Amino acid sequence: MIPDIDDHIRHSTRHIGRSVPRREDRGPLTGRGRYVADIKLPGMLEVCIVRSTEAHARITEIDTSQAEALDGVVAVYTGADLADVSTFPDYIAYIGAVRQRPLATDRVRYVGAPYAAVVAVDRYVAEDGAALVAAGTIYEPLPTVADLAQALAPGAPKLFDDWDSNVSVDVAPHKPEVDRAFEEADHTFTDTYWSQRQTGLPMETRGVVAEVTDGTLTVWSSTQSPHMVRTAIALMLGVPEPQVRVIHPVVGGGFGTKTHTYPEDIVVPWIARRLGCAARWIEDRAENLVASAHAREQRHDVEVAYDDDGAIGAIRCTSTLDMGSGEIFMPGTAPVFVTNACITGGYDFPNMQARTVGVVTNKTPAGAYRGFGIPEGAFVMERIIDRVARLTGTDRVALRRRMLLRPGQTPHVMHGGGRLDSGSHTESFERALETTAPALERARTRHADDSDVRVGVGYCNYVEPTSPSYHLTTGQWGGHDSATVRVDPDGSVRVAAGLSAMGQGNETTAAQLAADALGVSPEQVTVVLGDTERAPYGLGSWGSRGAMMLTGSVLMASERLLDKARRIAAHLLEASPGDIVVSDGAFHVAGSPQPSVSWADVGTTAWVRTVDLPDDIEAGLETSAFYHPEHLTHQLDEDGKINAAASWSNGTHIAVVSVRVSTGEVRIEDFIVVHDCGTVINPALVEGQVHGGVVQGIAGAMYEHFQYDSDTAQPRFSSFMDYLVPTCAEAPPIDVDHIESPAPDQPLGVKGCGEGGTVGPPAAVAGAVSDALSEWGVDLTECPVTPVAVRAAIRAAEAAGRGPGATR
Amino acid sequence: MSVSQPVSEIEVEITINSRRRRDRVPSRLLLSDYIRDTVGLTGTHLGCEHGYCGACTVMVDGDAVRSCLMLTVQADGAEIRTVEDLAPAGSDALSPMQQAFHDNHALQCGFCTAGFLMTLESVDPADYRHPQQVVELLSGNLCRCTGYQNIVTAVAQAWSDSTQAQ
Repeated sequence: MIPDIDDHIRHSTRHIGRSVPRREDRGPLTGRGRYVADIKLPGMLEVCIVRSTEAHARITEIDTSQAEALDGVVAVYTGADLADVSTFPDYIAYIGAVRQRPLATDRVRYVGAPYAAVVAVDRYVAEDGAALVAAGTIYEPLPTVADLAQALAPGAPKLFDDWDSNVSVDVAPHKPEVDRAFEEADHTFTDTYWSQRQTGLPMETRGVVAEVTDGTLTVWSSTQSPHMVRTAIALMLGVPEPQVRVIHPVVGGGFGTKTHTYPEDIVVPWIARRLGCAARWIEDRAENLVASAHAREQRHDVEVAYDDDGAIGAIRCTSTLDMGSGEIFMPGTAPVFVTNACITGGYDFPNMQARTVGVVTNKTPAGAYRGFGIPEGAFVMERIIDRVARLTGTDRVALRRRMLLRPGQTPHVMHGGGRLDSGSHTESFERALETTAPALERARTRHADDSDVRVGVGYCNYVEPTSPSYHLTTGQWGGHDSATVRVDPDGSVRVAAGLSAMGQGNETTAAQLAADALGVSPEQVTVVLGDTERAPYGLGSWGSRGAMMLTGSVLMASERLLDKARRIAAHLLEASPGDIVVSDGAFHVAGSPQPSVSWADVGTTAWVRTVDLPDDIEAGLETSAFYHPEHLTHQLDEDGKINAAASWSNGTHIAVVSVRVSTGEVRIEDFIVVHDCGTVINPALVEGQVHGGVVQGIAGAMYEHFQYDSDTAQPRFSSFMDYLVPTCAEAPPIDVDHIESPAPDQPLGVKGCGEGGTVGPPAAVAGAVSDALSEWGVDLTECPVTPVAVRAAIRAAEAAGRGPGATR
Repeated sequence: MSVSQPVSEIEVEITINSRRRRDRVPSRLLLSDYIRDTVGLTGTHLGCEHGYCGACTVMVDGDAVRSCLMLTVQADGAEIRTVEDLAPAGSDALSPMQQAFHDNHALQCGFCTAGFLMTLESVDPADYRHPQQVVELLSGNLCRCTGYQNIVTAVAQAWSDSTQAQ
């Protein structure tokens, strides 16, 4: 059922659907936004974490005496000192248990693994101490596994002695109907596609500040999930949970990497309790590159059955995730399940069998990054379609048109069980094609006189699961979120939500929702996010859930509050509650010329002049709601399928590129986006999410790649000089158009929009570059599409006798 | 046995946002840490501490400088401006560029914003009439949230307004 927004609008100027200016801007613009590194407490000490320089080793000795003797060093702690701290829980039964300790005790499994902490009067001295601890550390190196092939080789060195192999999880369903489809198909092909290792890379690194005052352990953490961090601290340190308060101050970006609860979230509070004074740890960028979650490194072994006319009969895909050491909480396995669930996207074809494998290696643990497995799957699907089109001489666009879901074909259950409740799959593709035609023409004209340049176009149609279940990901949490709405005596509204914010504008969104629901202006609404003491338990911001979860929880709490406010107003107006109408900040009796009462009148009566309340109404005007979306399921059904998302956004990305043949340089001439996230609450914020996501996606398509030495598993990166983040000069013009297909059964029809931007660029760019180099028969199977990669593809083609250069 | 730090302290006199200060600082203290920790102006942010991301950009004697690549002692006698100095004092107003960033949704998490604003504050708009010049100017500052498009739009708006005002 399509929800009726008007049921929730009680203000003559509707705020939902408008680009209400962001209330979050002023702090950062004027230098007064308070991020975790800006927090300075009396007597605060600085912490530097000492990290492994070996990829796989036993630590046989840590001599801390030199560091302890240093002026200004207060304490040095190693894993042995934290014996009273429990391990991070291994909640998921079907993956290998890693029993991660906050500081490694005897064995390190990746470069960057934390094993000691130096506490000192300032960061400079703490780093001096850390260098002395490092110098006093004796390793007994163990053989390393640097990639999937090494990790899966017979007799490979194992990361965890009690495991049978380095395989953490292997779910391999068998579908006889897929076998039949392969037997009956005209043709088959097999290939391997790759997605490279990247990270979310927020501009603000992680950081933790902790202190104990009056029996409360207060922790400021640059996290996306403060309540989950609180639960982990209470559990692992053995502190009653009400005595732990976790606050996220202004957070300088997260992109998934800050959804995890990291060792430092435990170690720094432990230090604050042990020493009885405030302690601060701020990750530096060199640490960040090895100590915050990596993501995206997957291999896809694909078999495709197809017919002469290009019809795809079935796909078999084994998706294998390089998990790094796997020592991360929550575990990093879920994205590869999402990959397999989302490969099909909005394309309909008869059969698919997907095997999901997670393998540990001696690299930084893999975890969450915006997109969470979706871009990897979309890349595989689009590359398959382009291949089949080429092999059968079918037009690439026509083949996509044949496969895409048409209006009226939703709800549609994908092969993995995801239920596409709605969407504009064909419509978004057609609209993007309309914009593409002139863009392609412009690019061709621009380069018409340059014989060294080829122009190409690439396509990606994707789906974006929004407001997902966290149960398969964490083995513990579910999928709710929360809000408390309060009206104070002066009539001001306060919304406190369990959700967090890392720059999306969630405070502004919450104020828009509450304003319309209660009939006040957004300026009358104060929003509190990211504080476990002030908001009810929530799961935080990730999984493109902010908009929908805020909508559900804020509207639910507002409606409950209105119910009580109406009864109080009815009493004051000597009328029946059913006759009370709320609009523009006032309550009045429907159809009556009587004077009205305001929110301040009602708030004052509820909290202050309670003598005016009737006997059957309690004092106070505050309600909480815990919202759980319709259709969201948390367990696999008997066929192994699950709809682990409350709704599904969709979109189309098309890249128009030029490729300089002699150098391999790729330029994105135009990037076209048509995006559908259902009902839009704030168009400017949605567009901002799309822009940022697309450029992150382009980073994955063309630039970012964590590379490791294959002999030693040592990282071949340590700074922004070797991990290439796009600047303004690499960001192409992005043309964004919107379609609104409201989510049936979700409040206001809102869907999420945080991650879609990252999904399309790798597929679209690889498709466009392959198209541009079609004379050479180039068919890219991995990213990033760097000049080196492009030249290698051209050379390989020419060596095989393909392309105009081959005959020279 | 206590090992003492091989750190000397040097007295510096620095004018920061029009206020003159005298401080004894360790010779190795980075200007960025001086601004943030010693002076307490935390609007200047540290995104990489190796001179790449530009978040810590401040103005030293009128030039944009990455404060993580400069020692405090090198700024002895200098005049420094930080993001806290951009908005007109004593009012709620923003500077025209800050306002343009707000109007065009040119910041999300805001961590990099101060660096962009200081880079822009340090140049004469007349030298950046072509959009490509603006892109090149801004390419020394990393932003991970916005995709840059709205930042470029904001700059164009602020500078076209200032040209019209003249």
